[in-house]
Amino acid sequence: MTQPTDTPSFKSRAFSRRAVLRGTGCAMALPWLESVSAMAQAPTPADFPKRFGVVFMGCGVNENHWSAEGQGAAMKLSKSLESLEPLKQKINVIDGLQVKSLMGQGIHPAQTGSLLSGVQISKGALIHSGVSVDQMIAGHVGQDTAQSSIVLSCEQPMTGYHETNFSLAYSSHLSWQTADSPVPVEVYPSLAWDSLFDNRGTLLNISVLDRVNDRAKDLSRKISATDRGKLDEFMTSVREIERRVEVMRKGANEASEKAGLKNASLATMDRPTNGLPEDLREHSKLMCDIITIAFQTNKSRVASLLISRDLSAMYYPFINVKDGHHSASHYNNNDEYERITNFHVSQYAYLISKLDGMKEGEGTVLDNSCIMFLSNMWVGRTHDNSRLPLVLAGGLGGTLETGRTLNYLSETEDKRKMCSLYLSMMDRFGIKQDQFGDSNTRLERI
Amino acid sequence: MRLSVFAMLACVAATPALAAEADLQKQFHETVQPFAAKYCAGCHSGKTPAAQFDIKSYDSLDKVKAEFPRWALVSERLHAKEMPPKPMKAPPQEEMDKIMSFVEAVRAEEIKRAAGDPGIVLARRLSNAEYGYTIRDLTGQDLKVARQFPVDPANPAGFDNTGESLTMSPPLLTKYLQAARTIADHLVLKPDGFDFASHLVQVDSDRDRYTVGRIMDFYRAQPTDYARYFEAAWRYRHRAALGNPNATLATTAAAMKISAKYLPMVWGILNEKGAVGPVATLQKMWLSMPAPSAKTLAARLAPQVQAKAVQMRDFTVRIRKHTAMQFESLKIEGLPGQTQPLQNWRLKTYAANHRKSDPAALRADNAPPAALPEIPKYPGLHQDATPRWNTIMAHARATNSDLVYPAGQREQYQKAFDRFASVFPDTFMVTERGRYWPDESEDKGRFLSAGYHNSGGYYRDDTALMQLILDEKGQRELNRLWDEFDYIADHTQRTYTQWFFNNSGVVDGKGAESGSPRPTGHEITETVVINQMRDKYVAKALADKKNDPGAADAMRQEFKRIDDTLRHVERERKASEPRHLAALVNFAERAYRRPLTASEKNSLLAYYKTVRTKNRLSHNDAIRDSVVSVLMSPDFLYRFDLSATASAAQSGLTKAATNAPAQPFIAEKLSSYSLASRLSYFLWSSMPDAELLRHAATGDLSNPKVLTAQVRRMLKDPKVKGLATEFTGNWLVFRQFETNNSVDRERFPTFNDDLREAMFQEPIRLVQDTIVNDRSALDLLYGKHTFVNPPLAKHYGMPDVPGDVNNWVRINNADKYGRGGILPMAVFMTQNSPGLRTSPVKRGNWVVQKVLGIRVPPPPPAVPELPNDETKTDRPIREMLAQHRSVPMCAACHSKFDSFGLVFEGFGPVGDARTKDGAGRPVDVSATFPGEVEAVGVPGLQQFIRDHRQDRFVDNLSRKLLAYGLGRSLQLSDESLVDRLNLHMANNGYRFGALVEAIVLSPQFLNRRAPEPAPLQKADLQPAVKFVKTAQKGN
Repeated sequence: MTQPTDTPSFKSRAFSRRAVLRGTGCAMALPWLESVSAMAQAPTPADFPKRFGVVFMGCGVNENHWSAEGQGAAMKLSKSLESLEPLKQKINVIDGLQVKSLMGQGIHPAQTGSLLSGVQISKGALIHSGVSVDQMIAGHVGQDTAQSSIVLSCEQPMTGYHETNFSLAYSSHLSWQTADSPVPVEVYPSLAWDSLFDNRGTLLNISVLDRVNDRAKDLSRKISATDRGKLDEFMTSVREIERRVEVMRKGANEASEKAGLKNASLATMDRPTNGLPEDLREHSKLMCDIITIAFQTNKSRVASLLISRDLSAMYYPFINVKDGHHSASHYNNNDEYERITNFHVSQYAYLISKLDGMKEGEGTVLDNSCIMFLSNMWVGRTHDNSRLPLVLAGGLGGTLETGRTLNYLSETEDKRKMCSLYLSMMDRFGIKQDQFGDSNTRLERI
Repeated sequence: MRLSVFAMLACVAATPALAAEADLQKQFHETVQPFAAKYCAGCHSGKTPAAQFDIKSYDSLDKVKAEFPRWALVSERLHAKEMPPKPMKAPPQEEMDKIMSFVEAVRAEEIKRAAGDPGIVLARRLSNAEYGYTIRDLTGQDLKVARQFPVDPANPAGFDNTGESLTMSPPLLTKYLQAARTIADHLVLKPDGFDFASHLVQVDSDRDRYTVGRIMDFYRAQPTDYARYFEAAWRYRHRAALGNPNATLATTAAAMKISAKYLPMVWGILNEKGAVGPVATLQKMWLSMPAPSAKTLAARLAPQVQAKAVQMRDFTVRIRKHTAMQFESLKIEGLPGQTQPLQNWRLKTYAANHRKSDPAALRADNAPPAALPEIPKYPGLHQDATPRWNTIMAHARATNSDLVYPAGQREQYQKAFDRFASVFPDTFMVTERGRYWPDESEDKGRFLSAGYHNSGGYYRDDTALMQLILDEKGQRELNRLWDEFDYIADHTQRTYTQWFFNNSGVVDGKGAESGSPRPTGHEITETVVINQMRDKYVAKALADKKNDPGAADAMRQEFKRIDDTLRHVERERKASEPRHLAALVNFAERAYRRPLTASEKNSLLAYYKTVRTKNRLSHNDAIRDSVVSVLMSPDFLYRFDLSATASAAQSGLTKAATNAPAQPFIAEKLSSYSLASRLSYFLWSSMPDAELLRHAATGDLSNPKVLTAQVRRMLKDPKVKGLATEFTGNWLVFRQFETNNSVDRERFPTFNDDLREAMFQEPIRLVQDTIVNDRSALDLLYGKHTFVNPPLAKHYGMPDVPGDVNNWVRINNADKYGRGGILPMAVFMTQNSPGLRTSPVKRGNWVVQKVLGIRVPPPPPAVPELPNDETKTDRPIREMLAQHRSVPMCAACHSKFDSFGLVFEGFGPVGDARTKDGAGRPVDVSATFPGEVEAVGVPGLQQFIRDHRQDRFVDNLSRKLLAYGLGRSLQLSDESLVDRLNLHMANNGYRFGALVEAIVLSPQFLNRRAPEPAPLQKADLQPAVKFVKTAQKGN
């Protein structure tokens, strides 16, 4: 068996077909076509799809340099947030929210395993969390796109156990597709690119259907005329699905063109080279590029990216930090950790400014998105997660007011829940839930 | 007996009878049509014909034949003088007689002409139920993917397993595609093929769950309880008194299901002479076990013996716990003891010393009590946990007086402890490790973990199990599981990588929580990188003279182990790819339920190659995608009945060639694989298993002896639950009850999902028991037994059944509680109640139509509705119905079934026993059956059926099971077979198995109707490759 050199080898498990194919079955549903034609006729701002993204940094921030005051143009951003300065009218800096179920049961994985779902996670051999908010949204809006969500990480997942007896899988995954199964993260930019732009999922389905059709033809030569009638029914169904897949593929391309302004050129991007980029700056930039182009071309509307995971082993020689990320976080109030924090925020700023540069109707892709920056702790040296560093960027198609600093620190516990924020987000995506994680109310002021 | 039936059924009489045909034509046009126009068409024609029977639509003899059962009913109702109904004038008797004899003549003629016609059995896709069972047997996992599929429609016979009703549509095919992908996402590649896990296999933790789970299952299944060995030694010792004078240690071990390798060692130490210390103490306990004699029966001694054996075990375990060896990590200046090579050195040392006794554990009887230091707190990160554990052990040892030796006898005692430890290891295997191991008070549930800080990692320590318990086969199996752990889950590589990034920085003088940066120019898993890291660690070990002298070597060994393992796994993966392709072909053959032709095989492999190269999939994903293509193939999704002689063209027979228009069909023998599938989908609702396919391959399946033997085997298999569920569920129309939501749970709070599921399962359990034990089918009607689980027992007011909902028990005297057999089952009572009241009409109609198979015309369009809430009526339902029956038009039908329902009035709307109805009025369960037979309650109904309707039940069961087994509605030409089936039942004690066998041996089942001649280009149905069954799970 010859194998081309760029074929991922068996050992690069990082490429999971599931990541590619999630939702492709649903992608064939017809309602999508209706929405495309609706869009083709009258592109008003309300018709632009809403997108949701999460950018994660592990082990908290330097709390001495993380703050924001004032509103709008007068907003003052602290040192770690300085790269957001040009975009401050389009962000909300939020302080004081928390996930109660991740408090008081141990550090690291026990503080991370349900950041986006707010459920109680299980210790020991059995991994159990909850479906995360990004996957809830992906399940709802993802069927209209080539890939229901893109789940990326610059760092390979860890396995085994933390000494708190919680699985390290909790430290390695933000996005959970079911209560006991995280979405595999894609670490290789080239493979993430392939799965989006190679139409890999669609092509694979077409391959399967082609083969199935060949089988049916072969069979129909061998069976009786009455049986052939039944088989025709099958072949008609196969052709109908193929047709829908094909129409959808074309329609998606047209729709993405119509979604952008005619005179604004679509962002272009070459396929990243195989293998892992050796420099984290390059790696995270590529991942951000993939998210922006996926959002702009409507290949996907939901993304999560771990620039560093919890218990991160990342190194930052380019900003002159000697220790690895996690070690450094134990001295999080020093300059070195400020530089790490600053780097993460700058990557986030890169992502959202790029989205803001992409025209869509009267506004930009960012205006129709909500991109969240989040860490699992506030203070790494004490593993304090009673308040989470949080920034939201983008106005979600005019449904989310931006340019604000929101502080919930002095509120009572029931008004400080991340899950309340998630409920508010899901509302805007048309997902009405009475309860999510530990909350049954919407977050005030959002 | 049964073989002669086969012979009987096999002779097909099909003589041309043109004359008779012409005569019938004449009768139809000259007598029947004028009669119908005159007496029937007034009601039975037009836009809304009464009983939906438009007699004018039958304008030819062929149409009468096509829907003969309706004409049989015409005859029946004329005979009973029910038609035309009462106020109308009855036609002259002789005219009616002509019609009845016409119907009979049609029947007789058609039976004569076409008996044994296999009929047209359409190609059919798997029903949802069949799809689910087939996936279960194909993958070995009950993945329940078919639950998402839309509900299948049923054919006129009421079954959802036929091509008549099963259609394909794009939405359904889309569901199939999703299901196929989901199934493929459970696939695990193994060195010798592939397997499916019960859960998704997508991320590392999934692969860990699969591999760790298998090893833990293996460990848990091992006989490592000392008490069992002590009991076995007692049994062997008293073998003569226990009635087994020829027993050996080996046979005793086999009988006790313990290790035949280990028992002799235990026996040896229990019987050796001159023992002191723990060996002597144990022997003393062993000798004090009571001896059996003629007076004291062994059975009565068992509890005493077992209690003693447990005491001996507890003694042994305690001694060994307190005399276990203790080791600290090697000391290297500047490295924490948890550094992986050092930690592994320690774990390895432990693994090598489970059968040694720590000399430090013993103390002389004249020694002053040792000063015991306070137990320290749990140490911080990167600090050694051994001092704490040593102190805990010192405290424990101090309380154990069995560790004391008489002053001056140290040597002799130490020897005894050594001997003791050599037979009784302190542990057979280590299954959980936390950071403080061997202190296990924390960190539970980390199975097979090496106990590293902040990183994964597994460590195998089962030396004592390997040495003492496992025979060669067991050792091989366990080694294989650990080898595959690396092959599947790559744990050595992942552990090394995590450690590299998270912990190895310390060797460069960085913090203990820091790792090394990603190497440039090389993958981290390459030998050169591993060796670079090794050299750093070795240098560190040699850097300080105070370091443990063996440390450098420990480092070298550890890195060599990592490199060796990684390289081994790489090679193994490469080498196994062709085996996966062979497994793929094998999988397709099982999925298609037949061998692949050479070209089919090539095209499957070509598909793999395409997705691997063109779509750039990894090997793993290309295999998964190929599995998807197999599961989407019509060969898997459809069942085609192919003939043994390949095709119509080859058979050389065509309808034209026979030149006999009266001979309506040509029967062809089914191919052996088609027969195997027909049989397995009939009896299991699933694919044929390996044995059945073997018979198909050798071609002896159509041999009646072989076929009968297979039927009997299959009816004993638990998979026959498929038949019990699908056949009974559709026959008695409760298949959808599992999702029934029509009960008002506020009014009936005891009705919850558990009870609903229990109700659904009850008839299935009873039928399955009837099938598996080949009982009389009449037990379904008259049996005094049933099966209940805890919620159902409670619902029925029976004594509590212990355990959870899966604990089903047989109740022999269910009649004491008004139950027994299918008739009074709660599921039918509930299903046939319209919410807040009972419905004698629905219940009676169900008994008459479904159980007994007596056809009742559908109700006229405008019948008055009864009130839907019993509590709000002023009279009992029985009285309202009596009034309804006083109208002759209504009585014509209602008198046929009301009485069958009234006897159930003792059961409320959810099948609960009751003495008063919803409004508090006493219920009356008496009824007057047709023929003025008075009866009371369910026993009265059972007696009435036994006396007057049993034949109808048997006939109905024959028809229903035949229609289900053939996968088509019955036709007139099946009548003589039905008659024979009924007779065969009666002659064989109504055994369910007898009915199944007679159906399977019938020409209808064994043959197919030859297709209409059609130009065929190619007919290569005979497999080009021989069907070879290789190792694959799932049978």
